[in-house]
Amino acid sequence: MPSSALGLVPSQPFSVQPNGRFEKMDGDNSTTDASQLGIAGDYIGGSHYVLQSQEDDGDDGMNDNEDGIGSKDGFREQDIYLPIANVARIMKNAIPPTGKIAKDAKECVQECVSEFISFITSEASERCHQEKRKTINGEDILFAMSTLGFDSYVEPLKLYLQKFREAMKGEKGIVTSVTVADGLGDELTDESFTNQLPAGLITADGQQQNVMVYTTSYQQISGVQQIQFS
Amino acid sequence: MAGKDGSGKMLDFTDSRQVSLPISRVKLIMKSSPDVSNINQDALFLTAKATELFVQYLATYSYKKGTGRETKCLTYGDLARSPEECDTFQFLADILPKKILARDYLKLLEEEEKGDEGDGEESDDSD
Repeated sequence: MPSSALGLVPSQPFSVQPNGRFEKMDGDNSTTDASQLGIAGDYIGGSHYVLQSQEDDGDDGMNDNEDGIGSKDGFREQDIYLPIANVARIMKNAIPPTGKIAKDAKECVQECVSEFISFITSEASERCHQEKRKTINGEDILFAMSTLGFDSYVEPLKLYLQKFREAMKGEKGIVTSVTVADGLGDELTDESFTNQLPAGLITADGQQQNVMVYTTSYQQISGVQQIQFS
Repeated sequence: MAGKDGSGKMLDFTDSRQVSLPISRVKLIMKSSPDVSNINQDALFLTAKATELFVQYLATYSYKKGTGRETKCLTYGDLARSPEECDTFQFLADILPKKILARDYLKLLEEEEKGDEGDGEESDDSD
C-alpha cells in the first residue's frame, strides 16, 4: 500500500468534523497521529484542506443533536448552531424549486451562520463599548452590518424593524413559527417584543425563566409553552 | 412555504413580523462572544432577520456559481469557493476549507517530501 508508512489508508473512511478535525473511523492504532503526518489534527498542513471521506455524505458524528448544540454540558462557542431544519428551510426557499442541497452543505451553512452572528456581534459590541454603553442596541447592529460589507442589508432591515414594531403595537401578540427540535423551552419570552418592554432585560447568564415581562396587552408566564391569541 | 398560527391564518415566512429562526438560540450565539453583556430586543430581531438574509444570500450565490458543475445541487464545494470569489464571504474562509480526498492529499505530501529530501527517499511503494 503506497501510504502504509504514513499510517493512512485512503480507502478507509474518515469522519470529517465541522471544525475541520478528522478522525479515523475504525479502531485500529495505526498512525493517524497528527504528529506523524506533521499536522495538528485540525486543518491539514499549510495548504488548508480538510479530509473528505470516501462517501462524503455528511458523516455521522458531526452534530450530536439535530438541533445543533454539540454538547449539553458546557457549550463550546463553536458548538452553538441554529437548528439545521430552520437553516435548511431558508436555503431551500432561496434556490430554485428544482434545486437540491447536499447534507454537508446544510451543515456547513449552519456553521457559517454562527460565524456570521458572532462576526456581527463582536463588531457591534466593540462599538458599544467605545461609546461606553453596556447594551447592544439596534443601531450597533446596523452599524456593524455596514462596516462589515452588509451595507445592502441596512435599509431593508430598518424597514423590517419598523413593520415589526408596528405589528406589535397593533396586535395582542404573535406566535412564532414553530422551530424544530429547539429544546431550550424559553421561547415564550421571545414573543414579548413590544414597545413597552424596558430594554436589555436579558441577563448576563442568559437565563430567561425568571424574567416576567409585563405589557399592557398580556402577561407572560414562564413555563407555559405557547400562547395563542385569536 | 407557510405555516399556520393559532388562529389558522396562514403565515408567510417572508412576513416581516416573523423571524423563522429561534430568537433564543440567536441570543445564545451572540452572548458567546466575549464582552457581550446585554442585548436589546431590537438588536436581537435585527440580527435574526439579517441572518435569514445572509443564509438566502449565501445559498443563492453559491448555487448560482455552482450550476454547471453538479447541476441543480448545492454542494459543500460550492460554498467553499465563495470566500475566494466574493469579498463579503471572506470572513468564512477559515471555516470553509476545501475538501480533498485522502489519497490526493497523501500524494501531495509525498511530492513535498520528495521535493524536500531531494533524492526521493522511498517511503512508499509505487502503484
